[in-house]
Amino acid sequence: MPLKQDPAPRRGAFVDFSPEASCLEISGFGLRYADKPALRDLTLRVPRHRVTAFIGPSGCGKSTLLRALNRLHDLNEDVRREGEIRLEGQEIHAPEVAVAELRRRVGMVFQAPNPFPMSIYDNVAFGLRLQGGLRKRRIDDIVEWSLRSAALWDEVKDRLQASAWALSGGQQQRLVIARTLAVEPEVLLLDEPASALDPISTLKVEELIRNLKSSLTLVLVTHNMQQAARVSDYTAFLQDGELVEYASTDTLFTNPRLARTENYITGRMA
Amino acid sequence: MHDSPASPLLRRRLRQGRDRLATALITAGGIGVIAAVMAIGVFLFVEVLPLFWHGASTAPQVNVDTLWLPQSYPGLDEPVYRWEPALPEGDPGPRFSLAPLAWGTLEAAAWSLVVAVPLALGAAAHSALFMSRRLRAAIKPTLELMEALPGVVIGFLAGLVLAPWLEAHLGLGLTLLLLVPPGVVLGGALWSRLPGRLRRRLPLGWSALWLLPWLLLLWSLAKWLAPWLEGWWFDGDLRAWLAVHLGLDYVSRNAIIVGMAMGFAVMPTIYALAEDALSGVPTSLAEGAQALGATRWQTLCRVVLPAAAPGVFSAVMIGAGRAVGETMIVLIASGNTALMTASPLDGLRSLAASIAIELPEAAPGGTHYRVLLLAALLLFLFTFLVNTLAEVVRGRLRRRYRRMGDSP
Amino acid sequence: MSLTWRRPGRARLPRGEGPWAWLAAGSVSLSLLLLALLLGLLAVRGLGTFWPSEVAQLTLTDGSTVAGRPVKTSPLPDGEGRERLYRTDNRDLNGDIWTWIPVDDIEREAYPRDLVVLERSRWSAFIGRLVAWRPADGEQREGAAAWEALQASLAEHRRQRDTIERLKERRLLPLARRLEAEGEVPALVASLEDVQARIRALRAAMKGDLVVMESVDGRRIRQPVEEIMRARRPNAMSSVDRFLAWGHRVWRFLSEGPRAGNVEDGVWPAIFGTILMVMLMSLLVTPFGVLAAVYLNEVAHQGRLTRLVRIGVRNLAGVPSIVYGVFGLGVFVYGIGGQIDRWFFEQTLPSPTFGTGGLLWSSLTLALLTLPVVIVATEEGLSRIPDRQREGALALGATRLEMLTRVVLPMAMPAMLTGVILAVARAAGEVAPLMLVGVAKLAPQVPLDGEFPYLHLERKFMHLGYHIFDTAFHGNDVQAAMPIVYGSALLLVLVILVLNLTAIFLRHHLRSRHGSLSRY
Repeated sequence: MPLKQDPAPRRGAFVDFSPEASCLEISGFGLRYADKPALRDLTLRVPRHRVTAFIGPSGCGKSTLLRALNRLHDLNEDVRREGEIRLEGQEIHAPEVAVAELRRRVGMVFQAPNPFPMSIYDNVAFGLRLQGGLRKRRIDDIVEWSLRSAALWDEVKDRLQASAWALSGGQQQRLVIARTLAVEPEVLLLDEPASALDPISTLKVEELIRNLKSSLTLVLVTHNMQQAARVSDYTAFLQDGELVEYASTDTLFTNPRLARTENYITGRMA
Repeated sequence: MHDSPASPLLRRRLRQGRDRLATALITAGGIGVIAAVMAIGVFLFVEVLPLFWHGASTAPQVNVDTLWLPQSYPGLDEPVYRWEPALPEGDPGPRFSLAPLAWGTLEAAAWSLVVAVPLALGAAAHSALFMSRRLRAAIKPTLELMEALPGVVIGFLAGLVLAPWLEAHLGLGLTLLLLVPPGVVLGGALWSRLPGRLRRRLPLGWSALWLLPWLLLLWSLAKWLAPWLEGWWFDGDLRAWLAVHLGLDYVSRNAIIVGMAMGFAVMPTIYALAEDALSGVPTSLAEGAQALGATRWQTLCRVVLPAAAPGVFSAVMIGAGRAVGETMIVLIASGNTALMTASPLDGLRSLAASIAIELPEAAPGGTHYRVLLLAALLLFLFTFLVNTLAEVVRGRLRRRYRRMGDSP
Repeated sequence: MSLTWRRPGRARLPRGEGPWAWLAAGSVSLSLLLLALLLGLLAVRGLGTFWPSEVAQLTLTDGSTVAGRPVKTSPLPDGEGRERLYRTDNRDLNGDIWTWIPVDDIEREAYPRDLVVLERSRWSAFIGRLVAWRPADGEQREGAAAWEALQASLAEHRRQRDTIERLKERRLLPLARRLEAEGEVPALVASLEDVQARIRALRAAMKGDLVVMESVDGRRIRQPVEEIMRARRPNAMSSVDRFLAWGHRVWRFLSEGPRAGNVEDGVWPAIFGTILMVMLMSLLVTPFGVLAAVYLNEVAHQGRLTRLVRIGVRNLAGVPSIVYGVFGLGVFVYGIGGQIDRWFFEQTLPSPTFGTGGLLWSSLTLALLTLPVVIVATEEGLSRIPDRQREGALALGATRLEMLTRVVLPMAMPAMLTGVILAVARAAGEVAPLMLVGVAKLAPQVPLDGEFPYLHLERKFMHLGYHIFDTAFHGNDVQAAMPIVYGSALLLVLVILVLNLTAIFLRHHLRSRHGSLSRY
């Protein structure tokens, strides 16, 4: 089957959000790593209390975009940025925004589980203790609530003081999610959260994602299109650091507007 | 701990402030510490400068010529190198010639490398390619522990045990030197003639251990052969023969003793670095060569060694740097006579040993003090350059390995 | 397609690996053998020199009699026969404690059980026979009774010496200090005089007892008992006694100060000095080394400059220790120390207080010397921590300081410990720089005592490594110093080996722990 060609120019990325309230607004955002462009002129809105998935081939910039939402690129001095990202209407790069507070509001879960070398309890309480000013009882309650929310409570309630590194990979990833939930973020960024896990753990994590969207805005990066189709409400397709198409997940997977998108999701890459 | 509503904002401010302060402190402290360490070179340079910056009043008695060229002194026919910094009253003046000290330093380092390099590289090659994994896990840390042996202990054993022993058993020493290498090769040849079952009992991977009794056997053989050899070739007394035929006077504490002791001290450094370089070569390379039917030794020479050559080179450089700067061994085992002779049987005096002995007595700010500081500056520059060179070469090697490892 | 492919004659496969492979194997064996020889020599001589060996009584061909312990045998200078060195002691009779005896001249060798070795506080030991014990007031005893009486009175003397020491320490010194502080208060003066009188009385009670000794060649001496520290009959000792005596000697070596030109008794001040200096050094080097490593690895911009600085720091680890010593002498001792003296100790100038080598300057110099070790080890530990740990902490809203103190530094702890232990091991073995900045052959005062400010940073101190060097090469009688030198060398090597083994263990522990993390 020959590759389809797009008649239209590349910039066809938009979606009608009129019924949704947006949580994150990205406009004209671009990022350069030491003069190598990684993201170019992205504009999209992430709706509140929905799951939005970023898909695309490796190196397309989807993880870079996710890390930008959390300002993790601040650690790297070689990065230049342009454009804006607004969280609930506020520009996140504004000088009056404290980056630590921003990162508390925008939680992030990474590809490989990264529990700290402490007990399970201490891992979940880590963020709470940073904020300070909480009584021990209250911390206990929040730890339990977070572990329950991450569907891990029943598995670990008898060994909260055991090392987090003794958990299995899937449990570690849910622990990391619980740890993030404990600081009550508004947005949860998930960077291929299931790529290092076995199928059963993956299903558990996906179920968790679906349950969390009632109270959180979730952004999911994945290279697994079935996963995106299973859990997300909206899907953005990125390629070469540009947004190619952004639509509701149903539309994007069943009726993509652009041929490039269709080629990608049907497995015919240029 | 309290849950007051106003506190979170305050607390956040506090956390931010603390973070900024700490970052500033770490930056300042880090730069300060590094600057303090780096200040050594600057200090030496500044202190040495007045030697050559002639303010007429201080009138230092040295310049580049007096330090490095032979000088004529009254009462002597030819110009000579003399290091006589502290002389009794009435003498024409102290003589500062760094040449014999530099010569002694290099001579000691050279002899120790003559001892250490073959031993270290042989050991590195064996443990990287031949030795069984289990034995290697025990032997490598053991040999690396040798590196930690304090110089003063090695020097003391060299000066008070090895030097008198060798002086009394010169013939045996020479016999050992002549006998052990061919003896080990002979052992290998005998091994390959052994019946298969016995040979499997004594695998090559464990030869480092089962060669030990063989070495002891060679030792007793040498003990038996030594008088015979001395009688046959050297008229029964090697020391007298050396004096008569070669005009060499055997001094108890000489360059050979220093070389052996310091070689022993430097060997583990070279071994550890060279072994890392050799065993770091991606195994795919060596396996490729062995798949073509090369023996392991051929693999080593044709494939592994060329790939790891920069690492081996830098190992030797770092060993040389250590040998040049080692103080206590030379101080104890060398006799500390500032001579400029090529004979390995004479004593020597090194820059580092001179500093250790003389600096506490030298008047601060005086010419003697500054000349000794110049010696320290030379040591500093030499080792710093040698180590930088080694580090650059090693960094390049590391990148090369990474490339080789990446390509499928 | 047809291919005529002729197999070339099969090359002769080499049998085995060839000579070079065996030479390589031989060099491992040789290195191991040399290491084993060195450690074995140290262990045997270091522990063996304290063994109470038997005393030989020799009858020579010319009819004379000698008693002593054999030390070594070597060929006679003329090559005919051999001679043996005996430690004959009795410096007060012979003028020397050593005697060389040609082996051929020995007619008879015996080990009589009644030979007595007296260790004395003056002169050297005495080897001979006990003739009589004569108390100041009482009856003279001879034979076996004399031996028993001597042992009893030695025990009594020891008790009295202990009492005097206790009195001095608990009563005399505090009183003297109070007198100094409060002035001549009559009550104090009275009690001071009372204590002094008691000590004098005790001392007087010890005087007067005598033993009459006879050397094997029949010369007699009268030996005051108060100068005898121990009396033994080594030839009559059972192996258990011998072992106990050996243990006692080793304990004295570890716990007592040197005597008689550093060749008798122990090395406790040197052990103490080494430990104190190394502890001070690690207090200095740990925070600064970690600080510099954290800056280099976590804070500094990872550009070309940082890479250069890192190479520079690494290379400083290869700069000879003597160069650091020169820096310490020039900057710390003459520079800073001289300035401190001019500011605060002007009244004692020109005799320097801080402007000369001392404990503080030695610790600082060695801290500088070992700084690269700590920095490199800590940096290695920091760079092994995966970035996702740092990002995990940041993503929870931690500031950089919180990320460092709560996640990164605890994880790098084993690496830091390894670095500090390696630094301590290196510092414990370094002697050359100390010769410039503050080690002493025999320090009259320990740098730590009960006198304000308790820790005297400006004092010189003794060091095990330097003690080896000094006693072995600057003493009057090298042969007599050998037990102390070998003992010190063994002790130093043991300490350093234990420290290094701990570091190796820690490093291994660290690797295996991170190995378990990186599986996911």
